[in-house]
Amino acid sequence: MKEGSAEKERNALAARVKSWTDRYRGVLALVAVVLLGCIFSPENYRSDWPLFLTLDTQLDVLFEYSEVGILATGMTLVILTGGIDLSVGSVLGMSATLFSLMVVAYGLPVAVALPAAVLAGAVAGCLCGGLIAKTKMQPFVATLAMMAAARGMAKLISGGIKVQPGAREWYAVQSGTPAFFETMTSALPGIPVQPVTLLFVFTLVFMWLVVKYTRFGRHLYAIGGSEEAARLSGIRIGLTKVAAYGLCGLFAGLAGVCNASRMTLGDPEAGSTYELDAIAAVVIGGTSLMGGRGNMLLTLLGTLIIGYINKILSLNAVPEHYRLLAKGAIIVAAVLIQQKRRD
Amino acid sequence: MKTTFRAIAAILVVASLVLITSCKRQQPSAGGGSGAGAGSGGGKGGGTGHKEQWVIGMSQCNLGEPWRVQMNEDIKKAAAEHPRIKLILKDAQNKSEAQQAQTKEFISQGVDLIIISPKEARPLTQPVADAIDKGIPVIVLDRKVEGDKYTCFIGADNVKIGREAGKHLVKLLGGKGNVVELKGLMTSTPGQERHNGFMEGLAGSELKIVFDADCQWLEPNASKEMNSALSRLEKIDAVYAHNDPSAHGAFLAAKQEGKGREKTIKFIGIDALPHEGVRYVKEGIMTATFQYPTGGKEAIDVAMKILKGEKVEKNITLGTMIYTAENVEKGGETIQ
Amino acid sequence: MERSIGRGMCRALPEFTSKMLSFSAWLDTRTQRPYANREPRQQSRGDDVPQILMKGIRKSFGEVSVLHGVDLELRAGNTLALVGENGAGKSTLIKVLAGVYPDYGGEIELDGKPLRMDSPRTSENAGVAVIFQELSLVPPMTVAENIFLGREPFGRLRLVNRGKMAAEAERLLGELGIHISPEKPVELLSMAERQMVEIAKALSRKVRFLIMDEPTSTLPEEDVERLFTLMDKLRVSGVGLLYVSHKLEEIYRVADRITVLRDGALVGTATPQELPPAMMIKWMVGREIDQFLPKHQGVPGEPVLSVRNMRLHDPVADRYLVDDVSFTVKAGEIVGLAGLRGAGNNEVLGAIFGRYGNRASGALEICGRAVAISAPRAALEAGIAYLSNDRKEAGIVPPMSVLHNMTLGSLKALTRPVILTRRREMEAGRELYEQLSVRAPSIDTPVENLSGGNQQKALLGRWLMRKPRVLLLDEPTRGIDVGAKAEIYRLMNELAEQGLGIVFTSTELQELLALSDRILVMHRGKLSRELSREEATQENVTEAAMQVSTTG
Repeated sequence: MKEGSAEKERNALAARVKSWTDRYRGVLALVAVVLLGCIFSPENYRSDWPLFLTLDTQLDVLFEYSEVGILATGMTLVILTGGIDLSVGSVLGMSATLFSLMVVAYGLPVAVALPAAVLAGAVAGCLCGGLIAKTKMQPFVATLAMMAAARGMAKLISGGIKVQPGAREWYAVQSGTPAFFETMTSALPGIPVQPVTLLFVFTLVFMWLVVKYTRFGRHLYAIGGSEEAARLSGIRIGLTKVAAYGLCGLFAGLAGVCNASRMTLGDPEAGSTYELDAIAAVVIGGTSLMGGRGNMLLTLLGTLIIGYINKILSLNAVPEHYRLLAKGAIIVAAVLIQQKRRD
Repeated sequence: MKTTFRAIAAILVVASLVLITSCKRQQPSAGGGSGAGAGSGGGKGGGTGHKEQWVIGMSQCNLGEPWRVQMNEDIKKAAAEHPRIKLILKDAQNKSEAQQAQTKEFISQGVDLIIISPKEARPLTQPVADAIDKGIPVIVLDRKVEGDKYTCFIGADNVKIGREAGKHLVKLLGGKGNVVELKGLMTSTPGQERHNGFMEGLAGSELKIVFDADCQWLEPNASKEMNSALSRLEKIDAVYAHNDPSAHGAFLAAKQEGKGREKTIKFIGIDALPHEGVRYVKEGIMTATFQYPTGGKEAIDVAMKILKGEKVEKNITLGTMIYTAENVEKGGETIQ
Repeated sequence: MERSIGRGMCRALPEFTSKMLSFSAWLDTRTQRPYANREPRQQSRGDDVPQILMKGIRKSFGEVSVLHGVDLELRAGNTLALVGENGAGKSTLIKVLAGVYPDYGGEIELDGKPLRMDSPRTSENAGVAVIFQELSLVPPMTVAENIFLGREPFGRLRLVNRGKMAAEAERLLGELGIHISPEKPVELLSMAERQMVEIAKALSRKVRFLIMDEPTSTLPEEDVERLFTLMDKLRVSGVGLLYVSHKLEEIYRVADRITVLRDGALVGTATPQELPPAMMIKWMVGREIDQFLPKHQGVPGEPVLSVRNMRLHDPVADRYLVDDVSFTVKAGEIVGLAGLRGAGNNEVLGAIFGRYGNRASGALEICGRAVAISAPRAALEAGIAYLSNDRKEAGIVPPMSVLHNMTLGSLKALTRPVILTRRREMEAGRELYEQLSVRAPSIDTPVENLSGGNQQKALLGRWLMRKPRVLLLDEPTRGIDVGAKAEIYRLMNELAEQGLGIVFTSTELQELLALSDRILVMHRGKLSRELSREEATQENVTEAAMQVSTTG
């Protein structure tokens, strides 16, 4: 009898620890990654200070991964519905090209170019969503088609070249860099944070609130959890899907503007394979590809985990082959951990 | 459950270890750090003079290309001859974003000199300028950045190489014939320059370009394009490929056609890497290849000069070499 | 390895088939009335050494212990019914026996020798075959391919001998009295046919013990009797059967012994003679339950639902699943829709709710107002609520919490102006949660972790939150335990008294008879008879459903 109660107590404690670690698994993983960074940090050759432990490094991680992070934010919406969007990388390229073209080639003000580029992304996303909702086409196929089409559009409007000042004689801007590009990627006065980074954090937090506290967010979960159940509960499946893919495209458009600013040009090839990074960030965070499970903060964690790991590997000048191996291992580990939790 | 426990325990132990070591690191750096900071602030000459080791950071834009692998090899080989040099090589996997980040990392790491072979000019102009502003000299290899905020540019002249290839072909064919041009990525500067130079070289002759295609530097693409050319055209006298693998791909396509045309067509390429173009010439696959020098060795030479405080030229243009069946055993022939 | 086993099994086939009775014998038994004149069972081999003995079986998932020390005996030529409420641990116990959970505690003996069920293969080699609730057929493959999956007979060049495979399959199915082409893809078969194929598949190997987890839950009544006949033959031929079911009639029809589980523990094992139904229910739930409450005695009010000329077209078979059905439901009335499987009674409910979009046609009035049936959304707004019979696929949203599942149909009303706050959701959900006595660790537990009955209650909560005028319940008690069933009956009565019009279907005749004010019987998509409470008897309804009186 006594033994039984002791065992019970131990079990209860273990259960508490387990539920705690379950809940904060992602955070623990991030902490572990950061600790690894501390251990394997190269030092500054002039001051011996570990490079990883500088504020600059932390901000760089956010800055460098802000585009992937914005894409992952949109991707989370789609993945929550049980879908996938392979077109975000290409849509990013299209939007980056379009934005640069309007600003550099036609000399349009940013106030016109920015909404137009973002809108172009949203339209591409809505097309995917419409196709998926109307024709019951598989998301993989529909967005694969958009992946090709958006890339083609990017090359068409740019004429196959990188859109930058002076690239063609008739461009309105022939030299220098448009001020907007520099503003987006240079630290704000007073705080060492770039507008691109802020845009990422703001987007993610805003969508976190939307997903958590609006009907639209709940509908995403319902569709991903059981589409037929959602339909029988009076949820407009088609509309919600179009909105999810549309927003995903919109964020891809926004990421395109960020990319153009970072590169100070519009590259029609920009963003290729970014969709995979975005999906990886979502999955590593712990959102299920089957839909219906996960949230936006997990995506933030996933983005940070990928960002930090890449930063650590880059700081240590680890050759690319090891990096790819590490990336593969991390994705598998993350998904295995997810499955454990499901048991 | 037990494993979870152990994992947490392990993490806590590691955490405390890290905290301890980072504290230890902090103490000496408080004194030493300010000294080094003053050194770096005082300018490159003073700061680096009494250091026992020079750290050079090298950012390569894409190690997926054999020519760039060769460049890294050349740099490593040259650096190995200077025991004072510590070399950090980073590969940006064909991403300008990654190269921007790597440049930033080199700056915050406090390296003594940066070598960068940019994927493209514009996105890297600002990061390179930042390094110069921080007092770190930058050698730009192969592709230039915009403006003049860099220490030294080392590169070869693609127009000139293209022109030499054109002239060589005119001589070879007796001023008359049909030529297939298999181009590199035409949105890139080297592709455009190798084409323009070639056209200059052909000027005045009766050589005609009867077929051309953008093969994006890739051998499989070149094979496919060559197939179309072969089936469409009766008479092909020569193939000018913007790089050696494309020439090789064209050769294979001709061979597979089975009409023996690979023996009559002259294949000419550019780059002359030891294991590619030069070998193809030795084996009689290609008629000639023109070296596009990597500049790796030259970069280290220039770097040593800069670090020792010597003056260097702002722009260094490298020459080229031609490899043909006659001279390949002797190690090629320098043009000018 | 793989191949030699396959051959061994093929050789065993004739041996097995000889144990089966022929189709003609099956025909004889078919003409008998179901459940009537059952011969008393002989305890023929009851005294033999138990063939499979499970002792003190324990299994836990994480910190949750699901089985704590269960004993079970399986004997050759003897049918054991395993009963218990949902969540009592029946499925887990079966999976232990099937080798699915190698990390169980306790001991298993086969013919007196200890055996560790460490993999499905071990279990298979011991002669155990399991037919799970979720069938394990590959839909796009043919019947023959499914039966011989992994054990395909080889011909020349080691290629699969398709002709031989089809012939074997045909013979096997014929002997079971199943008339399905072996070349037909399984996805084109009905649930009942699939079940038969599954059994044929299990029996095509050398089976000593056949375990069936609720095999009749998806079968129409006439096929149930076919299955039972088959089980009888198997038993006579010396196969040990383990049978899991919720349906009392069936248990007493087939069982030689009954083992009852409750909350992961063994309550006891007894023969049907020793254990009358009331006692068995007491064993299962640990308390006495009046399974069927007295019927509610409301006075029907104004018509709330009127259906005129409802049709539902099936584009695949190009026929009408529901053919010109008209009826009216009054406030406070419970109407039962009876019919054999495929009669269209389930589809009527779905069609009223707009589930099938423009495949359905007809006119609909709710409280005297004409309503277009186009989509569930429109139906919901008109005051109709619909509980589908497919709880897992078209009812719950598994990963969502109980609360969120309950509020899913009423989100619009809870959003003010754009924000959905937990406080408002709790206000709406808490009361219903308690009123429906949903048993869950907390209202925030994912609904997938609840038992079937509690999931069903949460779903009812979702619809009641909308305060509907008409409630359509498609097999509301499907796959849920006795306790939860009783609660749902009580709830239906209460709601009717509050003035809702309720239409429901059930596969259990007893339920229809006990709860309905009126029973509408359907046959092949048409309404064949309307029976008042006084007229409705088991015989009447069955007759109308099978159209015995009209087809003669």
